[in-house]
Amino acid sequence: MRLRNRLISRYLIVTGVGLLLLVALAYHEFVHVPQLLRDLGIEESSFKKFDARAEVILTAISPLVLVLGTLLILRSLSPIGQLAEGVERFNAENLTERLPRTQNGDEVDRLAASFNKMADRLENSFKQVREFTLHASHELKTPLTVMRAEMETALRDADGLKPDQREWIHSQIDELERLAKLVDGLTLLAKADAGQIRLDRNPVPLKELMTECYDDTLVLAQPAHITVELRDCQDAVVLGDRHRLRQMLLNLADNAVKHNSQGGHIVMALRKWEKMAEIEMTNTGPGIPAKLQGRIFERFVRGAQDVEGSGLGLAICQWIVREHGGNIQVESRADGKTSFTIIMPLAG
Amino acid sequence: MRVLVVEDDRKTAGFISKALKTEGCAVDVLHDGDEAFLAMMGTPFDVVVLDIMLKGRDGLSVLRQARMRGNHTPVLLLSARGEVNERVEGLKAGADDYLSKPFALEELVARVETLCRRGTDSRSGLVHVADLTLDTGLRKAQRGGRTIELTSREYRLLEFLMRSPGRICTRMMIFEKVWDYHFDPGSNIIDVYIRKLREKIDEGFPAKLLHSVRGVGYILKEEA
Repeated sequence: MRLRNRLISRYLIVTGVGLLLLVALAYHEFVHVPQLLRDLGIEESSFKKFDARAEVILTAISPLVLVLGTLLILRSLSPIGQLAEGVERFNAENLTERLPRTQNGDEVDRLAASFNKMADRLENSFKQVREFTLHASHELKTPLTVMRAEMETALRDADGLKPDQREWIHSQIDELERLAKLVDGLTLLAKADAGQIRLDRNPVPLKELMTECYDDTLVLAQPAHITVELRDCQDAVVLGDRHRLRQMLLNLADNAVKHNSQGGHIVMALRKWEKMAEIEMTNTGPGIPAKLQGRIFERFVRGAQDVEGSGLGLAICQWIVREHGGNIQVESRADGKTSFTIIMPLAG
Repeated sequence: MRVLVVEDDRKTAGFISKALKTEGCAVDVLHDGDEAFLAMMGTPFDVVVLDIMLKGRDGLSVLRQARMRGNHTPVLLLSARGEVNERVEGLKAGADDYLSKPFALEELVARVETLCRRGTDSRSGLVHVADLTLDTGLRKAQRGGRTIELTSREYRLLEFLMRSPGRICTRMMIFEKVWDYHFDPGSNIIDVYIRKLREKIDEGFPAKLLHSVRGVGYILKEEA
């Protein structure tokens, strides 16, 4: 709150200087002037009539004035503080937040009013984008089904096809399959954005999931001669959706294998910190370019272009972790060592 | 085999019916929920392929009503929404399987065939495909008298493939039955496991049993 401190210090300086002047004036009036009069030979009784009450009261209440003034400053600044908090709470995940209005027409209220109007427009356009993605991915499904069916039918009933024609159709089907997966991922994220996905909430023993994921990772890693190590695997139970958590773990493990060099190494760990479960997945791979690290969980942001993937996997992982009240972070060091760390609250 | 296809998109319905006919099924096609309900109640089909979004009554309520009236025809639900919740809802309403759009025709055909054969498969302890034997009691596999060591996941994968000999097992079916994922988790893990399994059961034998069906899945059979 630097604005508050600045205002209060300035107020104290100005009022302090004023009070000092007042004290100087009083000194002049009560000490210096009588002395002068006495020196001039004027009898003391004739100027004793000076009424000093006003000055005494003023000096006595001056600390009170300081305190009161400070309080008034704090009070008039508090709407700005609330404004700032409200604006900070407003983001892509919380577009419904609106600022409180005092309706008294002052600058702060005007600011709140124009912010609220801007928020309305933003919320509206975000909603439109989400609905558009949802509708688009939905509308794409029927034509995709038909296209794929046409290709498959062509393969089925034409024995007269030349090998290169068959190959061509197969490759079209492969691309359609990729497109279908992309549409699936987009639909999932669009629905997640719109809050349309309900996750199951049951106690899930992470240790079991982690062991299963470790077994699968061993198999996934074998062709590239990557070694896998399960360093810690403590008992940790979270409240959540078993299938989605398994999906997230497999996705991270899959990445750790795909974005790794031949003969690399993977470390997996599940630890417990007080009321939190921590999952770590580290690989020795070539790492994530520094300029991409902050954006790696965004949609269609991909670390290595030559590795197959939709560019939606980590966005989906992040959604799953956040739905469980957790947080996922990445750290990629200069030597290529890359760690994904997930923290999520334990059940109960 | 007589199959009823209820799908309001005529093009999709046409392709489904054509594909099922090439597999030797007799296919009836309807586009409307109310008609579908009457047909289901009046005709003994072996399998019903039922889209959820329909004109008239929607697929789920057709299914619920049919089940309430004591109809137990195996039903494969189709949906363009493809949500996990919807799958659960469909299974609760009495569906036997669920497929979300866009799907591969091969996937649909494989699932319809599985539904048709359901109940006729033996659940006995010994399963054979050519000279490959699986003892489900002892969870042991043998080929040509040689014992094959399998991890538990490999065992489940092999058992699933051996229970549908000569039929395509799609990647999604394998994800559902062997990994218990009801959506594509976005990994090529099945292909890696199949490669390992192939090393174990086919290497050193002239007759290969485990075959890939490009873009669809895998099939366990004696080479024709």
